[in-house]
Amino acid sequence: MLRRTLLQSVIAGGAALVLAQGAEAQQKTTLNVMTAGDQNMVDYITDYLGPMFEKQNPNVSVRAVGTGPGDAGSQKIWERLDAQKKAGTATWDVDVAVVHQAMAGQMVKEGLLDAYRDKISTGKLVTRDTAKNSLGANVDGFVIPMFHSQTAIAYNPAMVASPPKSLTELVSWTQANPKKFGYNGIKGGMSGVAFVFGWVYANAPNAKQLMEGPYDPGTKVSIDASLTKLKDFNKNVVITPGNAGTLDMLNRGEISMGAVWVDMFYTWQAEGRLPPTMRLQLISPGMPGQPMYYVVPTKAANSEVARKFVELATSPAVQAEGIVKRFNWYPGIDAQNLESKLDKAVWDKLFKDITPQELAQKGQPMPIGPYFKEIQEEYERIVQN
Amino acid sequence: MTPTRLLSLALVTPALAVVLVLFVYPLGFSLASAFEPPGGGFGFANFIKAFELYDKDILFTPVLIALSTAIIALVSVAIGGYLTLGGNPVAVAVLAWLYRWPLFVPFIVAAQCMRTFLAKNGLMNNGLVSMGLLDTEQTVGFLDWRGIVATFVWKQTPFVALMVAGAMASLDRSTIDAARNLGASRLRILIEILVPQIRGTLMVGLILSFVTMMSVLSVPLMLSGAAPNLLTVDMAYRINAQGDYGVANALGFISYLMTGIVGWIYLRRSLEERTR
Repeated sequence: MLRRTLLQSVIAGGAALVLAQGAEAQQKTTLNVMTAGDQNMVDYITDYLGPMFEKQNPNVSVRAVGTGPGDAGSQKIWERLDAQKKAGTATWDVDVAVVHQAMAGQMVKEGLLDAYRDKISTGKLVTRDTAKNSLGANVDGFVIPMFHSQTAIAYNPAMVASPPKSLTELVSWTQANPKKFGYNGIKGGMSGVAFVFGWVYANAPNAKQLMEGPYDPGTKVSIDASLTKLKDFNKNVVITPGNAGTLDMLNRGEISMGAVWVDMFYTWQAEGRLPPTMRLQLISPGMPGQPMYYVVPTKAANSEVARKFVELATSPAVQAEGIVKRFNWYPGIDAQNLESKLDKAVWDKLFKDITPQELAQKGQPMPIGPYFKEIQEEYERIVQN
Repeated sequence: MTPTRLLSLALVTPALAVVLVLFVYPLGFSLASAFEPPGGGFGFANFIKAFELYDKDILFTPVLIALSTAIIALVSVAIGGYLTLGGNPVAVAVLAWLYRWPLFVPFIVAAQCMRTFLAKNGLMNNGLVSMGLLDTEQTVGFLDWRGIVATFVWKQTPFVALMVAGAMASLDRSTIDAARNLGASRLRILIEILVPQIRGTLMVGLILSFVTMMSVLSVPLMLSGAAPNLLTVDMAYRINAQGDYGVANALGFISYLMTGIVGWIYLRRSLEERTR
């Protein structure tokens, strides 16, 4: 009899313990942050932003999930949200997402995102056009840029004494120096795609319309004409295998110039994978750049915590330390909020080769959605065939 | 139905269900959507676009993979042959230890290594230059279709060679000894006695390699930026950049056909052999 009571009390005690643990686990919120982009985005959340947020909010644990680079990564996030919407799930398991421009527009259109910008204090620090207009789609209020990225021409001063200042000069330079300029076409990464867009902007008569819309199928003729010229240009250049491929070839001295992402260029330099002598040039009439956005899904399970998280991520201190200093990205919020938070050396490094004025003048947006796809497809049809 | 029959069916069911749900269903789904034009319904619009944009790649893919397969066949027969007929026991031991290592390297790692190895100023050319065999001006980069072939051959040869060497080792040695006694050279023994006997195994290895190489994305994507390229790159691009599953599935369908033809040739030959 005694033995039985003892056994019962042990079982009861064990059950109570399990229940108590369950209750504690329930109190602890897991914030799911899903990011498109390279591994560095996941690392940024896991190693830097997540721990900082967990310290401020002890009962939250941040979980970062990476879905991969390029628009494909954003596509996966969309697929997940879309599936949960179609299944009629009450709450969705993505609290914060980091997505590319094309997908942000589509998500807003399909009602997958919450208009959260005015609900948080850092929302009013956002001033760039990209916070309102994403490749022609109205995303005003639904997104906050995490950072802005810019493409430029990287060159090796040992091999190029006076780098071309404009696209026209670049064309004559490649004629004089065949196979010494490289970019990665359109299948190997966005720096190549951006170069193609920059080329079309410069060579088609309607650059402004390509960037701002409205879409008109008739413009295809001028796009095609500019791409026929690009086919000629390509005869004298190297098509590199990917964004990293261009930097690799620059580093090994196989090419003396190439189209690259500014942040990737500086990061490689900081890591010693590219000689410190290499320089950048933003040629006229300009080259495109792009932001990535923080978004909060409409039915995010922890939307309030999610907003708090983005508020921290877009605060001037984090933008200065995390975005500018760590990644050499241009900030997502207005840069003037950051200047006081950064030492001059860091600030100057980012604007050493490309001055803020130049960036304002020659930093272009990507084309609006329909042109974005059309130019890529016409490139395949005309340049690659 | 007898209880044992029921039991055997019950045992088969889970595996069958997995095949149906995870393989047959997605296959059918993607085949169907290949024939579904953007507006819906049934049509060949996706195939027309696939041929319009990627005709060179559609031609290039089977040619390049067949070339890789042919080189793999030569090299793995050579390795297997030396392991079976080689006279120097040290060389045989070293080769036996060495040749299978690439088997354990994933494709993506192989591609990354080859990227720095085969580049114009890469490890290989730098080595040749420092040995005085080449001049810096003469170096050529292999980061195009040649790089893809080199990587495929390096990575897939051990797989086939392992099967071939195993099959050769299990052959009756008396025929080899008899041929030797009659004065046949090693090359002749290899070509006229060994290879015909292990043809079936070689064929299976090569077909598995062919199918594997058809499906690899990382190697062509990382090694060659220039067109033409393999179909996997185009499929990934259609989905990732254009969100266009229709044309991607049409390209997939074309890939199925290519592997299907290879499979059909294999089945026919093995049937012929069986009826002989």
